[in-house]
Amino acid sequence: MPGIDECLMEAMTLPGARGASLVDWNSGLALGTAGESPVGDHETTAAETAELARAAAEFDTFTAAAEETGAAAGEDPGPPVEDLIVTTRAGYHVLRFVRTSFDSSVFLHLWLDRDTGNLALARIRLADLARRLVLG
Amino acid sequence: MLVRLAAERATGALLRDHGTLYLVDGRVVHAESPAAPGVDVLLTTAGRLPREGWDEAVDRAGAHRAVGRFLVDSGRLHDGELEICHLGAVFDAAFFALSPTSGPTRFRYGVGHWFGTVRPVSAEAVERETVRRRELLDAVWPYAAVDTAPVVPRPAAPGQHAGARRRALLAAADGVRTPAELARVLGRPAFHTLLDVRRLAAAGLVETPLDGAPDATPAPTPAFPPVPPVADPDIALLRRLRDALEAHL
Repeated sequence: MPGIDECLMEAMTLPGARGASLVDWNSGLALGTAGESPVGDHETTAAETAELARAAAEFDTFTAAAEETGAAAGEDPGPPVEDLIVTTRAGYHVLRFVRTSFDSSVFLHLWLDRDTGNLALARIRLADLARRLVLG
Repeated sequence: MLVRLAAERATGALLRDHGTLYLVDGRVVHAESPAAPGVDVLLTTAGRLPREGWDEAVDRAGAHRAVGRFLVDSGRLHDGELEICHLGAVFDAAFFALSPTSGPTRFRYGVGHWFGTVRPVSAEAVERETVRRRELLDAVWPYAAVDTAPVVPRPAAPGQHAGARRRALLAAADGVRTPAELARVLGRPAFHTLLDVRRLAAAGLVETPLDGAPDATPAPTPAFPPVPPVADPDIALLRRLRDALEAHL
């Protein structure tokens, strides 16, 4: 996969996709965006989703057990939290953490329409996209 | 000035005291600052790229201003990795280069950078993000003194946790290193380290130097008389007290 834009374009081909972005959860920066934002402004959406992602990525409740599993396997297992799913009356949001082999804190955010989106399919495809974004 | 250069689709280097922005056709293609670790530091510190691999790329492609491209074409990095790492470094350096204390601004037309173009971003987006980042720092903990002072950890309150990334930062804080030095040691963007230090200071896990007053402009008429400074405020305790009081409202 060539890069951020191609990755986001591919995410937008998923059924019911309304918006996609690549966001840094530490700073709230949108590194790339495609489609719409639920609030009409991708930068606001990036800052807000980043707050949610940061809480999940940092609270021990979500990370402690996962980190023990990784240590037992003896290899870098990537981010302890894999994804976050928020369901609303109008749609689904899937946040998928991207594993990089240098220090980074990025995730893919996909916003799906509630009626036409397929949450299970989107979660699997987003995981694959996140992997190919950095592994080619 | 940046907005004007973007409007006239200028190509060249915007030089300031704390860093340099490189423009091509009015869009930002690269930035560097002595305060922010470069792409080389981010990639080699984590072991993603050996130092020799980086040096070879600079030797072979630097003259053509295509080091970024060479890293991908020679199989050292993937496109997505290069874009994520480079964009992170550009916004990081731009934050320091465009800071209000960065002194006079000069522009040299036609000057390019040897790293080459990876993913240009609009000058407006860079400026907007820089302002947002300054506001974010002050929203977290409005004491700029912690940005440049040596990071001195404080003992955690019982049951207080910092999260894995900030635990690593605290472990590297030896009481001498500043946030900028810690960013280099850890191979992390400098702004991210500033933000983590401010979060730690707000949680009472890092000392806040007493010399500085809050940077946010004070409210025009304070509702209460000013409180004399306390030598050693137990911020974690105060926060728990506040939470307990709010829970009873």
